[in-house]
Amino acid sequence: MTDSTIFSLENVNVSFGAKHILTQITLEISSGDFFVITGPSGGGKTTLLQLLNGLASQDDGKILYRGNNVQNGNLQSLRKEVGLVFQNPVVLADTVKENLLVRQKWDKSFTISDEQLMTMLDRVGIPQGHLHLDARSLSGGEKQRIALARTMLNEPKVLLLDEPTANLDQQLAGQILDMVSNLQMGTELTIVIVCHNIQQVVKHANRAAFLIDGVIAESGVASILENPTTQTAQRFLQQAD
Amino acid sequence: MDHSFYIITWTDVFVSLSLVALCLALIKWWRIGLEKTILIGTIRAFIQLTIMGYVLTYFFGQNHWLFMVGLIIIMILIASYEATRRLDIPIKGYFAITAFSTMVTVIIVLGTILQFILDVEPWFYPYAMIPIAGMIIGNGLNSATLTTNRLVAELEHREDEIETLLSLGAPPRAAADGSIRESIRAALIPNINGLMLVGIVQIPGVMTGQIIAGVDPLIAVRYQIMIMYMWLTTATLANILTQGLVYKQFFTPLQQLKKELFRRGK
Repeated sequence: MTDSTIFSLENVNVSFGAKHILTQITLEISSGDFFVITGPSGGGKTTLLQLLNGLASQDDGKILYRGNNVQNGNLQSLRKEVGLVFQNPVVLADTVKENLLVRQKWDKSFTISDEQLMTMLDRVGIPQGHLHLDARSLSGGEKQRIALARTMLNEPKVLLLDEPTANLDQQLAGQILDMVSNLQMGTELTIVIVCHNIQQVVKHANRAAFLIDGVIAESGVASILENPTTQTAQRFLQQAD
Repeated sequence: MDHSFYIITWTDVFVSLSLVALCLALIKWWRIGLEKTILIGTIRAFIQLTIMGYVLTYFFGQNHWLFMVGLIIIMILIASYEATRRLDIPIKGYFAITAFSTMVTVIIVLGTILQFILDVEPWFYPYAMIPIAGMIIGNGLNSATLTTNRLVAELEHREDEIETLLSLGAPPRAAADGSIRESIRAALIPNINGLMLVGIVQIPGVMTGQIIAGVDPLIAVRYQIMIMYMWLTTATLANILTQGLVYKQFFTPLQQLKKELFRRGK
């Protein structure tokens, strides 16, 4: 573990009943990484993100966030610092503005100026005129952007994205990924993204891992996404093609 | 107008069976097929209420506060046990939760009625304490258990919303807030509708009984108003206390939603 390590996972196992979801996961994620986790559906990718956000727990093994055990710390602070955007983003039955400021419902100290709000809308590409619309009436891509903006307003140090482009067409998916990548500019924001479409994400990534059947088949620099060395990862790429 | 107290004799009760006979004849004629159930129900109601009459007479004769309080505690424990059996999915600690919630509701509502409204002397006057406590326990638990089932359905329905809010750093109470509020609202609407409509369409049960028994309608009305307010407060208190504790059973100490509880219920 180095000074820049933000997440360190050591021999992490997760099972639901008799089913093994994650087996002996050992992984390091550094501050400022654009870390891609890829692999087939049902391979445990979502569970891995939920472990990092504290929404799921491991059966054994160690998960350290900035050197501290995730489960021993203040979970609410962890979840603010390690934001998670779900594959199917949930918008609440309210206006876009209420969705973005939802944290005020439980955190009275959370204040955002109108200027900050507008800046965030611009960053994620939501027209300012949408602010008072019913969030449920918006398209899938727009809901994804609202979920992203809502998480970013917590000023997270880590952003976990679960298949952010799964339900979008190729062009929109490209736009979302460019926008996500831009969020990192000039910051130390770490991005961990689960994505099975490698072509879409490879140009942004600096590190990557193949998670196949709950096991890290290979991890390392982003170039492994196109040229993996292990047979399991190679086989996954061939099947994905 | 004669305000005499009409006493129903056992012969009169048997005469009232002619109404059940009419009902049975109609059921048979229309081949609805409930004759046996109706017969059993008719006999059970007769036996249960008769026993209850004797039991109440015995209890009303006991003039000690400890006896009355003990009796109310037993009533709460039995009703809580019954409520636990009516849950759609098992909830850890539900017996203790309902027993506690009902106890607090009884103390507040019954205490107010006995001490400040009826001004009974002694404070444990059995003729007031036992029937009113019975109404509070029955209505409170019935409402709270229906609401708990609704709350579970809401939590399951809003699973993704709850996890989204948790992931944003919301404490479990805030993440479950929508589900809790929605289930309690649904529980209180029948009570509120009751307040809106009472006296317009029908004469409510308590009032009817009192008027037949010879009580001046203006007095019977006051009792009915008190009871309507009592039902509303009972439902509100029992539901807020119960659901305020029940939702916690659906979160782990690490503030994660126990989704497996919904699956096991299937």
